[in-house]
Amino acid sequence: MVNIFLENDNINVKVPNTKSLRYVATKTGASMEFGCRVGDCLTCVARVKSGMEFLNKKNDKEIKALEILAMNVEGLRLMCQCNVEADEGEIVISYGF
Amino acid sequence: MLSKTTKVSTSVDFIGAFDPQIRTFDIIMKTANGSSYNSYLIRGSEGVAVMDTVKKEFSEDFFHSLELLCKYDEIKYIVLHHLEPDHSGALVELMQKAPRAQLIISGRAVMMLKGLLKKEIAFEVANTGKTISLGDKTIEFLSTPFLHWPDTMSSYLHEDKVLFSGDVFGSHYYDERLFDDKVGDFSYAFKYYYDHIMRPFKLYVRQALKLYSKFNIDIIAPLHGPILRSNPQYYIDKYAQWSSEAKFRKHEFGQKMICVFYMSSYDNTQEMAKKITEGADSVEGVVASMYDLASLDERNMIDLLEESDAIIVGSPTINGDAVKPAWDLLSCMAFLESNGKIGAAFGSYGWTGEAPEMLHDRMRWLKFRLPVPPLKIKLIPTQEELESCVLFGQEVAEIAMGKMVEMEI
Repeated sequence: MVNIFLENDNINVKVPNTKSLRYVATKTGASMEFGCRVGDCLTCVARVKSGMEFLNKKNDKEIKALEILAMNVEGLRLMCQCNVEADEGEIVISYGF
Repeated sequence: MLSKTTKVSTSVDFIGAFDPQIRTFDIIMKTANGSSYNSYLIRGSEGVAVMDTVKKEFSEDFFHSLELLCKYDEIKYIVLHHLEPDHSGALVELMQKAPRAQLIISGRAVMMLKGLLKKEIAFEVANTGKTISLGDKTIEFLSTPFLHWPDTMSSYLHEDKVLFSGDVFGSHYYDERLFDDKVGDFSYAFKYYYDHIMRPFKLYVRQALKLYSKFNIDIIAPLHGPILRSNPQYYIDKYAQWSSEAKFRKHEFGQKMICVFYMSSYDNTQEMAKKITEGADSVEGVVASMYDLASLDERNMIDLLEESDAIIVGSPTINGDAVKPAWDLLSCMAFLESNGKIGAAFGSYGWTGEAPEMLHDRMRWLKFRLPVPPLKIKLIPTQEELESCVLFGQEVAEIAMGKMVEMEI
């Protein structure tokens, strides 16, 4: 299980491999905002403060969407495009900006 | 009704349209005084910028006004502060008439533009700090998302000190005298507009006010209702006051507030509510209160819902559903920020007991944080079950006080 700390809500959750961050948000009741849920609207942009290597890689759509923000996108991900891709690890996520 | 152009400042003219007859806007808003779809033209030494268009039905008025002031080949920029149809209704026709014009939209508007127009249109994205020039006039953009569409932005005309605020500071109030010092008393319309359109996005209002504060603003030019020129700071202060995050209990007493709303057929859900309230209230730093939905007018609960750090809703199950007053209460959340607010649901039941799960699901879609599963008890609670209600209330209260939630999914 990968341990994810959802910083804004003070939630520490153990998540199995392949689960999406949308699923995690739904199951934990975390206050992450989702808009279109398909990587277009940028509503769910969040900062992965550590453990990026335990998530899937950014797809082209996500890279293109984040470029629109025209800011330092280091560590930024669209939560609607993220899945856990590891059996073990620690991830810290901050959202809502 | 053909619009008239009106001088707003040295280089800005009003070219919007009036809609005195509209009585319901966006399905949900009453508009007793009608409304206006404000659009502006900025003229600089090297061209013209058109700031937003109007609702499609009013295109003729808009183009009539525009043609009084400029030729289409003079238009260098078309700025859409957000893409809502009441401001983008004349966009396609305008772009056909002014093919040299560059369309400026926010980054968040890109995909919306495709969805709205169902065709590819060339555009340029503006983020906070981007400027465009009309020769002797400079327009600077500010990203002010979610006010009230995700793609909303604002802009500032430096030379004339005019803030184009989008729907922020708007009012549904038709009056052709146009300026706040000339029109009738629109204070009700201004507050009503804030309550219905901006209040659910208070966080973003505060962020926008921070961005606006770096500018010296002489005139606020919103997209609906009067142009605010007599004392712009008065309106900014009103928004700051209404959007303040200071909660009375938190601010005055350093307490978290938990409200337990319930309805009960045979006192069983009420008994649960009492014990949940008792449990929540026993946590230091928390004040918990109980409200019987049977005797409430939910519209009077909006301030209370907003003030609460956690809302716990209880309903018996009747014909496989939660009772209507519980749904009515949650429907009030459409006017409020609920993202991150803690929620929980409970109820006694006789046959099937769906109500607590249904309320829990509804709160999830309203973006509540739901750290504890719904609590349901069959018919009359035992002593042991009542004790579980106390623990349920305590758990919600401790999480409201910042206790870390450990979960496995």
